[in-house]
Amino acid sequence: MFSELSHSSRQGSCSLLCRPGSEDQDPSVFDRVQPAYSPCAERFRLGERSFNRQYAHIYATRLMQMSPLLTERAQQKWGADVPIKKLCDLQMGEQCCIVGTLFKHMDLQPSILKEISEEHNLLPQPPRTKYISQSDELILEDELQRIKLEGNIDVDKFVTGSVIAIYGAEKNDGKFTVEDFCTADLPPQAPRTPISSDRFVLLVSGLGLGGSHADSMLALQLLVDMVTGQLGDQGEQSGAATISRVLLAGNLLSQTTQDKDASTKAKYLTKKTQAGTVDAVRLLDELLMQLVASVPVDVMPGQYDPTNYTLPQQPLHRCMLPLSSSYPTLQLASNPHQASIDGVRFLGTSGQNVLDIQRYSGMDSHLDILENTLRLRHLAPTAPDTLGCYPFYLKDPFILEECPHVYFSGNAPSYQSKHITGADGQDVLLVAIPEFSSTQTACLVNLRTLECEPIRFSSFSAGDDEESEMNISH
Amino acid sequence: MTAKRAGLITDSFKVVKKAKRENKRKKEAPSHPKQDAELLPLTAKDIELQELRQFDQNWQYGPCTGISRLERWERASLHGLNPPQEIKEMLRGREADPDYTYCLWSGYPL
Repeated sequence: MFSELSHSSRQGSCSLLCRPGSEDQDPSVFDRVQPAYSPCAERFRLGERSFNRQYAHIYATRLMQMSPLLTERAQQKWGADVPIKKLCDLQMGEQCCIVGTLFKHMDLQPSILKEISEEHNLLPQPPRTKYISQSDELILEDELQRIKLEGNIDVDKFVTGSVIAIYGAEKNDGKFTVEDFCTADLPPQAPRTPISSDRFVLLVSGLGLGGSHADSMLALQLLVDMVTGQLGDQGEQSGAATISRVLLAGNLLSQTTQDKDASTKAKYLTKKTQAGTVDAVRLLDELLMQLVASVPVDVMPGQYDPTNYTLPQQPLHRCMLPLSSSYPTLQLASNPHQASIDGVRFLGTSGQNVLDIQRYSGMDSHLDILENTLRLRHLAPTAPDTLGCYPFYLKDPFILEECPHVYFSGNAPSYQSKHITGADGQDVLLVAIPEFSSTQTACLVNLRTLECEPIRFSSFSAGDDEESEMNISH
Repeated sequence: MTAKRAGLITDSFKVVKKAKRENKRKKEAPSHPKQDAELLPLTAKDIELQELRQFDQNWQYGPCTGISRLERWERASLHGLNPPQEIKEMLRGREADPDYTYCLWSGYPL
């Protein structure tokens, strides 16, 4: 971390061992870099909340928004004179291109109707890690009709709700044989403004406060001390001063704070018990206060945090954080979150969209799924099918209109990052931010070079684990 | 014979059916002249409402339930589908009239 900076500190490495600076000597103060910051997440804010509408509107408006893009892509790929047809005009055996929304028919997909049907008298399905099976089928829907797909299209890689263009012909049995397909691919990207010096944004996810990970609390405190410049010598401190912003991507609280007892137990039994989230939120407030006193922080809610469940999750309410919310450096953000930091556009989620695609597709790597959603130009294609989502009607806010420079998702099992480049010269850094409570790892993104590196805070605890294993084997 | 008669479903529902028919006849009888009077000169409102219902049923502009006609028109216009300008003209200033604001299915529960 801060490799060049720590190197320069070698010369003054005695700064920790020398006597405290006398009064005539200047105390070394490192001013934190102040980046230009503008949140641009208005489209993820909900004004009125009306749940009277059905979800048909989202799919309709998604197709309305995406079909001009895909028509253009199809013409680029298969020639300007490729016949683009609606399903109702389809003639058997005719080679043509169709733009539509995918639906993946999955036998294992949990269905509330299956569960409550008394005739079958089935037990509720056990939760699985994957809901895909060999019998899954892809179906393409346009505004009026649907058709089963077969041929050159990998069923496991696609999920319900993705809008794509396919090329092929309808066969005798009423199925469409796909020869080729294309996605909307990366949206246009605004150029970055060049930055002269190294500046960092720290991405952290899955703090898991209120959980049972005791060693992660030490790591968390180390992280806070590192960022606020209370660790190490002057070299380390000057390095910490280049962290211009901290972004907390969801799951601030642990899953264990979500006790289901409160809803099932009798009221009189739970009257005097306190919800598990109360202590955890207090802890979060204290932690944030230490951070925001020194550095601007963006706080995104996640799956287990006290805000609405459906995407887009609205910012945590400031009343819950009485200590830290008085600082102007605390930015309570929505999930998904989008912001421009020093001209670098960040976009990402707390990981629900990626985890959901992982469950309903053959893909496992969070990074691959992130890239896939970027190529589909849609943040959360499985919403509203298997992912909770607000019933939008006017616009689908999850369609990417502008390509981010840093595209992240939180709560990944391990740290991963890579660069991808688009056809029009777009350059995107993909980051899967690991869950801090289990990996004790955070990510530093360099705004100048758009490189990302992990920071781990727990080398000693990993060693402890090895020792205990050794003991068992003896 | 008697057993067969008792088994017929129509026996048990006869009374109800008769009552309905009588009701209908009663209703229809006085309303006939009225309807004719209404049918002959179609009012301007009727023509407009007919046109609005046609707009509701146009699939290109997406589903119509749950949102107002104006919202649907605005959405279609936003996504470049060029909905007819007359529809917007018709809806303008009629925000208080549920016949105009909501789509033809609005009377039915979801």
